[in-house]
Amino acid sequence: MLNKKTITGVSLALTMLLSACSNGANEPSKESSASQPAASPSADSGKKVELRMSWWGSDERHEKTQKVIELFEQKNPGVKITGEYSGFDGYMDKLNTQIAAGNAPDLIQMGGNIKEYVDKKALLDLTPYVGNVLVLDDFNGGYVKAATFEEKLYGVTLGVSSTALMYNASMFEKAGVPLPTDTWTYEDFKTSTTQIAQKLGKGHYGSYDLSSDAASLASYLGSNGKELYRDGERHFDSQDMINWFTMWDELRKAGAIVPADVQVANPPTAVDKSLIVKGQVAIQSMSASQIFGFQELTQDKLALSMYPNGSAGSGMVPPISGQFITSYEGTKHPEEVAKFINFMVNDPEAGVILGSTRGVPPAGKIRDVLSAQSTPVDKVLYDYISLVSDTAPAVEYQQFPLDNEFIKLLQLTSEKIAFGAQPIDSSVNEFMTELDKLLVKAKAQ
Amino acid sequence: MQKYKTYAAGYLFLLPWLIGFILLYLSPIIASLYLSFTKYDLLTAPKWIGFENYKTMFTDDYRLGDSIKVTFQYVLLSVPFRLAFALGLAMLLNQGMKLLGLYRTIYYIPSLLGGSVAISVLWKQVFDKEGIFNQGLSFIGIEGPNWIADPKYAIYSLIGLSVWQFGSVMIIFLAGLKQIPQELYEAATVDGASIFRKFSKITMPLLTPVIFFNLTITLIQSFQTFTKAFIISNGSGGPINSTLLYSLYLYIKGFTFLDMGYASAMAWLLLVIIAAFTGLLFLTSRYWVYYSDGRN
Repeated sequence: MLNKKTITGVSLALTMLLSACSNGANEPSKESSASQPAASPSADSGKKVELRMSWWGSDERHEKTQKVIELFEQKNPGVKITGEYSGFDGYMDKLNTQIAAGNAPDLIQMGGNIKEYVDKKALLDLTPYVGNVLVLDDFNGGYVKAATFEEKLYGVTLGVSSTALMYNASMFEKAGVPLPTDTWTYEDFKTSTTQIAQKLGKGHYGSYDLSSDAASLASYLGSNGKELYRDGERHFDSQDMINWFTMWDELRKAGAIVPADVQVANPPTAVDKSLIVKGQVAIQSMSASQIFGFQELTQDKLALSMYPNGSAGSGMVPPISGQFITSYEGTKHPEEVAKFINFMVNDPEAGVILGSTRGVPPAGKIRDVLSAQSTPVDKVLYDYISLVSDTAPAVEYQQFPLDNEFIKLLQLTSEKIAFGAQPIDSSVNEFMTELDKLLVKAKAQ
Repeated sequence: MQKYKTYAAGYLFLLPWLIGFILLYLSPIIASLYLSFTKYDLLTAPKWIGFENYKTMFTDDYRLGDSIKVTFQYVLLSVPFRLAFALGLAMLLNQGMKLLGLYRTIYYIPSLLGGSVAISVLWKQVFDKEGIFNQGLSFIGIEGPNWIADPKYAIYSLIGLSVWQFGSVMIIFLAGLKQIPQELYEAATVDGASIFRKFSKITMPLLTPVIFFNLTITLIQSFQTFTKAFIISNGSGGPINSTLLYSLYLYIKGFTFLDMGYASAMAWLLLVIIAAFTGLLFLTSRYWVYYSDGRN
């Protein structure tokens, strides 16, 4: 026989369970009834499509992207897009987790590592929408090709950019040092940075320590007739790396570049901590389109320069699609996603709002609209991109596989030398050993 | 039969917790054991590779060595300091002062906040080159280093943060101190025992069960520390791996390098390490932990 206690117990437990369940079930209906009136009266189905979009960037880019989302929602009642934005630190980690858990955002901003995600079948094939919902007629063929893999389109270029040295021109002027030219060499770089540090005094430096920057290294190798990576192999040897680190070590000892501990505390990637913005460091390396986020925070005049020339001339990489807008393979609303992508790259109003915050827009007609009303910073970027297009050797750029691990390895090696924890030659030996392991690992994948 | 029916109510009340435990703890733990024998990049299906991950861990991962070294350094310094600090304060607070409740609360606050991101961010500011800490040092004529950005000192700022979160340990010590019978002290006073003698012959022996408990809990927590190191080093464990605590390296392997199989294997190694240390504590406890009920 069940006794009274058991029955009370069972009923109590069941009540708890039931209330927990019904709570969950109530949630959506409550929400939809609340949002129903807000939805377009014209939407007969009464269904509201909710999308999520994730991107990284500076505050300036967040604001502009939010505005474009609002504009899209106005023009397309019945679609609601929630933005999930952050800085770049941790962006990919979070995305990986979301993809693994099957709840990634419908719209995802991607970088140069797009192929990695295509290979892992995480991105939606957009080909069915091209020509109807998604119009790319106005695009340079190369930009479409950059996100096309095995004849399927997985993303749309949001902007064309190029790696660059951003410099604080006001600091150059204050120190009376001539500005970088299109043909400056590593010798010029050394002289300029040393002079700036000397003339402006304690706490001022000619450049960030770029020995840990992968783009700077790639350009340096290119300017010496070598290559960081092509077709599964590295195309440089340990002597190149020793030369590289020795050059930065000399600059460090001359006080021309930021000391190691200051650099760790004020990393060049963090806009809010940037010493360029504070007028304490004259040069750093980054993607050219980021200049908007930095310029907004300072009265000093910022400008862009190519990396110095080496014995084999310029090591610049031709401008590439810096960022793509892609869709998660598991999205429930591919049609609306394609519609938004199209809006983002083709709508003139959206184009004006976004400006060049992700680089030079890919659609010709948007570029025409923008050039009619360009700001001085726009002009700096546009001039720079066309300069690089004209200068860069015609080589097709290949991204180092396992890029995250490579960047961490370079950073570690650079820090060991910069903090004086290990001599250059043994650090480089370790670097080469680990790098070759990465190449083997990449091949096995 | 009757017996089971009586238990049924108990289990039913336990059910919500039990479901949570099975879904959120037990099954992920079992899954991670399986994943530790696979190559799993989070985005595609795991592939069985046997003991490969474990082999790599012991033979071909220089960073893991760095990470274990840093973690041991962190644990071996932060645990004793935190316990000593907490015990010291608990004894001060046990003097029967006024406003004891207020002080207890104030000293407990850091522990409540300690695990949070905000405190780690604050810590970063305090120990910055131009932070409050160095400003204080400059008053007495010392130019402080860049505590967080210098590989020689970075780990000590983490240890400092850990010691600062002594609150919950202190509360438990305080409760333990209150349990010690006053008449023991009175008798010792009559016999003319000094403060130090009272401490070493009465307080310490009677407090050993509490010390043992706090030591075990703090040790386990310290091995698993993550948030502080992640926030303070910007998720890198740098400079030069100097703050690469085990859990942080595990996270980087799993979520940045997409080596979730390897990260799972690392989690199991950590489990073994923690189990070994805890086991060692339990084994030695019979020689130094004194239970007044005669169980020894």
